Amino acid sequence: MKKFKKMLVALLSVMMIASLFGAVSVSADQGGDIYVMFATNVMSLDTNLATDGDSFEIIADCIDGLTQMDADGAAVPALAESWDVSEDGCTYTFHLRDAKWSNGEPVTAADFEFAWKLAMTANLEYNYLFDTSVGAIKNADAILYEGADPATLGITALDEKTLQVELEVPVSFFPSLMYFPAFYPINQAFYESCGDGEYGTSPYTFLCNGAFLLDDYVPGAASMTVVKNPDYWDADRVSLNSITYQVVGSSDQALTGFKSNNLDIATVSGDQVAAVKDDAALSENLKVTGAGYMWYLTFSQTENSSSDGSLANANLRLAISNAIDRESLVDNYVMDGSIATYTAVPPQFAASATTGEDFSGDQTKFADYIGFNVDKAKEFYEAAKAELGKDSFTFTMIYGNNEGDEVTKVAQAIKEQVEGALPGITIDLQAMTKAERLEKMQNDDYCVALTRWGPDYADPMTYLGMWTTGNANNYGFWSNPEYDAIIKDCTAGAYVSDYDARWAALYQAEELVLKEAVIAPLYTKANANLITAGLEGVEFHPVALNRVYKNATFSK
Amino acid sequence: MAKYIFKRIIMAIVTLFIITFLLFMLVRIMPGNPFPSERMSAEAIEKKRAEMGLDKPILVQFGDYIANIVSTGSFGKGSSLYNGAPIATVLPKAMGNSFKIGGIAICFGVFIGLVLGIAAALNRGKFWDVFCTVLSIIGVCIPSYVFMIFLQYFFAYKLPVFPFYFNNRQFFVSSIMPALSLSLFSMSTVARFTRNEMVEVMDSDYVLLAESKGMYGTKLVTRHILRNALIPIVTVIAPLIVDLLTGALVVEKIYGINGIGKLMVDAITGEGIDYNYVLALGILYSTLYIGIMLLLDIVYCLLDPRIRVTEKKGKRRREAEKKEAPAAA
Repeated sequence: MKKFKKMLVALLSVMMIASLFGAVSVSADQGGDIYVMFATNVMSLDTNLATDGDSFEIIADCIDGLTQMDADGAAVPALAESWDVSEDGCTYTFHLRDAKWSNGEPVTAADFEFAWKLAMTANLEYNYLFDTSVGAIKNADAILYEGADPATLGITALDEKTLQVELEVPVSFFPSLMYFPAFYPINQAFYESCGDGEYGTSPYTFLCNGAFLLDDYVPGAASMTVVKNPDYWDADRVSLNSITYQVVGSSDQALTGFKSNNLDIATVSGDQVAAVKDDAALSENLKVTGAGYMWYLTFSQTENSSSDGSLANANLRLAISNAIDRESLVDNYVMDGSIATYTAVPPQFAASATTGEDFSGDQTKFADYIGFNVDKAKEFYEAAKAELGKDSFTFTMIYGNNEGDEVTKVAQAIKEQVEGALPGITIDLQAMTKAERLEKMQNDDYCVALTRWGPDYADPMTYLGMWTTGNANNYGFWSNPEYDAIIKDCTAGAYVSDYDARWAALYQAEELVLKEAVIAPLYTKANANLITAGLEGVEFHPVALNRVYKNATFSK
Repeated sequence: MAKYIFKRIIMAIVTLFIITFLLFMLVRIMPGNPFPSERMSAEAIEKKRAEMGLDKPILVQFGDYIANIVSTGSFGKGSSLYNGAPIATVLPKAMGNSFKIGGIAICFGVFIGLVLGIAAALNRGKFWDVFCTVLSIIGVCIPSYVFMIFLQYFFAYKLPVFPFYFNNRQFFVSSIMPALSLSLFSMSTVARFTRNEMVEVMDSDYVLLAESKGMYGTKLVTRHILRNALIPIVTVIAPLIVDLLTGALVVEKIYGINGIGKLMVDAITGEGIDYNYVLALGILYSTLYIGIMLLLDIVYCLLDPRIRVTEKKGKRRREAEKKEAPAAA
């Protein structure tokens, strides 16, 4: 019996000693070391392969592009010290500064040429940013869609420090496109020294040239760390020592993690915002930032196995759109500071380069077609019933049940609002994973879908380009020649060199989308962040890079 | 004997092959896309499918899959998870984490379970007995992830003795809470088993004899009671290891441990479904399960002569029946 007592004592003492270690090391708040929450896994650190915001964030910590985002999202010089644009706006010559990769090699123009041409050799999510619908890099269309040689892409390293990029047509927002990770450089010799598929899977198979160095990472890791890069070209401006990212799956764990000082930046759900606001100490830490993406309803306008095609009727779509109380959705169900949206391009991410005005700053600009107005909705509904010769409709609405806590509630609220305002309409809700939802939408096997889109670049075209005939994201299969013509003029035609005329044309295009309720915009998502006191200067952006830490300071 | 083991091994391999085939078919009929994309053109996605051989007939795909495993010894690359990182890069680290935490959990389970069980048996009918019985019933009933949340709340939030989140740099310290919660079921099972076995042994004649010969205390417990009580306990531990594997699916996901359980959940519920990861992990899980069961069978066979005897008896009976059969006809 004595022996067992001894063993018990030994076990307890081991546990106590272990707990001591724990107690010493859990305190997160040491000057300059911050702990930041990620809601999902980092999927890839390969700039060509990465597709998600968390991956982009950690990539941008470690790698600079030709330009980078300032606090307002404008492009400012990064690896390119300066650039010249030819008179026709089609040739950019970037002059690179002296910068080093983390293995000591200089960053050269050839690194950009290699990375971009490498992207052309594979089928990648962001390849479309090179084609004429966005970046319009010379020959990208021919390479991507007609099988031309990737070596013919319009990017040339003139010498070690001079990079020339040729475009098919002028692209007014080209410098701001350059801070998107798909356009970042890759060192060829290093890339090729890594095994097949191994690049970017560990600190040893990843090269940095940015403000931070990758210190701890494996694919699927729940926590990963970047540390300050002493050899960074702009190292004097970087004051954080390290950033440790922690993947936190649930918002409850995020809030508790923040309260117990294990996180310095955490994102909480709409449900928790009220509780946070009630807590005097916590409410000081709350900061709502734009998350960029817009939630909207898309309607299948074709006859398919899930839809009888009655949503091809514009009046029926307008009726639904006007029966939705968007303010109630954001106030009562989303609750995290998201903004009710009445435009096809959400507010706060695309501002005019000439006037500085937000493209969708005025949310009442299309009040004739979209708003919460039950009487108007009924008018549209009566017109639709007369045109279709039917007075009852049943729609199935699909939504993702793994896309955020609030999505299910929003779907239910829309069902109640529409059914309440328009008697005769029945909406059946069908929950599924996001992957299934996308698959159904892509196969046109749906009726109504609750979906979202985040901006890839700071121009209204990132939304308006989707509704052209045959576009892969045009899930409703809407087609309007007038609309297609405007978009074509804005990407490759008459308006490419006239900034203000293009801006005005995009406005017209947006009006067409809403006049026919191609989609029913709902709300623009915000993030309710908790930020620890003393941490200043973290820049939040709704587009491209969600959080930038280069200018952040932390004093405790 | 050798023939018996050989037969078991062949059966295990055949089972594994059938499971692989079923998994392969099931994964392909699951909803979801191996290349989730909102920006790629249909042609580009088609090309990616072709690169992975998904345009071929499904049986050809299965043949290619098996041929690839046999010829290269690897599971290839993923389709969507970690953007197609090779499984050989990701899996070993995940296995390492899971096995280390699983190992700690087994140690906790066996050790604490034994201590509780022995304490209960030695104090039969008294407070400790009731305490341990109640504790082990609760332990069997509470799912490991619920216990995990409980531990996290009290020992990482209210009283911060353990790290709130799992991290590799404090591997041992941050493993304690998940390992404890994973071990809850095995701990309770071992405790109950130990108590019952010990009580049975303590009532037996030879313990009475030992006592009457003047043996008492630790010596009696360790030499005579525990040793005899332990044999059946060893046999319950193997299935418990298998239970740990399934418990790890949820605990790893909740506590954010980069192990095979979390990998499995991510491969299925991520943006897309990653065929290759799901398959590789499915095969790994099945191999572990079948392997443990096979080992158990062999160990039983070595330890317990009755199994061999039954086998011989059965054989004899069958032979006898054969002889009788023509007579009856």
